[in-house]
Amino acid sequence: MSDEKRTSQPTQSSSDLDDLERRLETARNRHKEPEADGDNGGTLLGMAWRLSTELVVAVLVGAGLGYGLDHLFGTRPWLLLVGLGFGFAAGIMSVFRVAGKMDAENAHIPIGEDMPDTNDDEMD
Amino acid sequence: MASNPMDQFKVEPIFQGPKIGPFDLTFTNASLWMVITVAAVILFMAMTMRGKLIPGRLQSMGELSYEFIADMLKETTGPEAVKWFPYVFTIFFFILFANLIGMNPYAFTTTSHIAVTAALAVFTILAVVIAGIWKNGLKWFKIFAPAGLPLIMYPVIIPIEIISFVSRPVTLAVRLFANMTAGHVMLKLFAIFIAYLVGKGAATGVAAIVPILGTIGIVALEFLVAALQAFVFAILTCVYLNDVYHVDHH
Repeated sequence: MSDEKRTSQPTQSSSDLDDLERRLETARNRHKEPEADGDNGGTLLGMAWRLSTELVVAVLVGAGLGYGLDHLFGTRPWLLLVGLGFGFAAGIMSVFRVAGKMDAENAHIPIGEDMPDTNDDEMD
Repeated sequence: MASNPMDQFKVEPIFQGPKIGPFDLTFTNASLWMVITVAAVILFMAMTMRGKLIPGRLQSMGELSYEFIADMLKETTGPEAVKWFPYVFTIFFFILFANLIGMNPYAFTTTSHIAVTAALAVFTILAVVIAGIWKNGLKWFKIFAPAGLPLIMYPVIIPIEIISFVSRPVTLAVRLFANMTAGHVMLKLFAIFIAYLVGKGAATGVAAIVPILGTIGIVALEFLVAALQAFVFAILTCVYLNDVYHVDHH
């Protein structure tokens, strides 16, 4: 096998490709741990930003819609208050929705320190 | 250098353009840096497109970026959404390059203006609305009324769903704009503080080491944020495209 590979390397591109594949595989395995780690820090920051803006903006949009409708119907403060309430509800709902999805995505990552092996297997 | 931390966001005309109706076609520094961003993306793609069986470094970058976006679309939206690839790819690389180019001294950060980020967000949400109605007809509006609730809940849940849909483009625009603006203001403030301490004399000049270290940290953080916000914008575009294809299970 390794014999054949060496002889055909300069001419045949398919075994060349196999060789590259193998080397890539070993390189990938070597670099797996730190990559996964760095990724996680970035996405955690992303999640934090996502959840906080989701909540704040929903309240503002609810209040804005209420304010606009107040202008339309001439019912000055009331629809603004209703919109504020609905906006808050919408914010909570989207935060729960997003957080639930994040939980589902992360469900396969074991948090305990006594099972790193199964984690590796599952990642593949 | 300007000493007001907000001066870096000033839009200044480079040459006067014609006014067509309400539109002022003046070419500003913001327009210039957007043109530079687009040119940089095109250059990047052109450099990475020399196809060989065993890719070199540049070609690998191109292939990795293709796979990155294609996988993101397939995983978050589904394999039927791959036709949106050009749009998501363009959005991601425009924002990424705009953010990174803005990190250079003297460069103008186009994504620190809500006019730019809001335009991008409006494109995304209009694409979802138009494609959703195109594909599902009026049934698309069912995303505002999730099935399987008691009838009494609908007067409450429909306004809530509408508000949460309307806040999507707003969150997209505000998050990117706020991140970029806050980061650049913070950088500028720290830099001004260094100059101020050094200018006051030798004793305070030594103390300037603290804001110098702070600035270095913030620069690193800002590079992370620049890439992260481009990623968040792109992945949320994919998430929102879900509503085009999965109307029933929301």
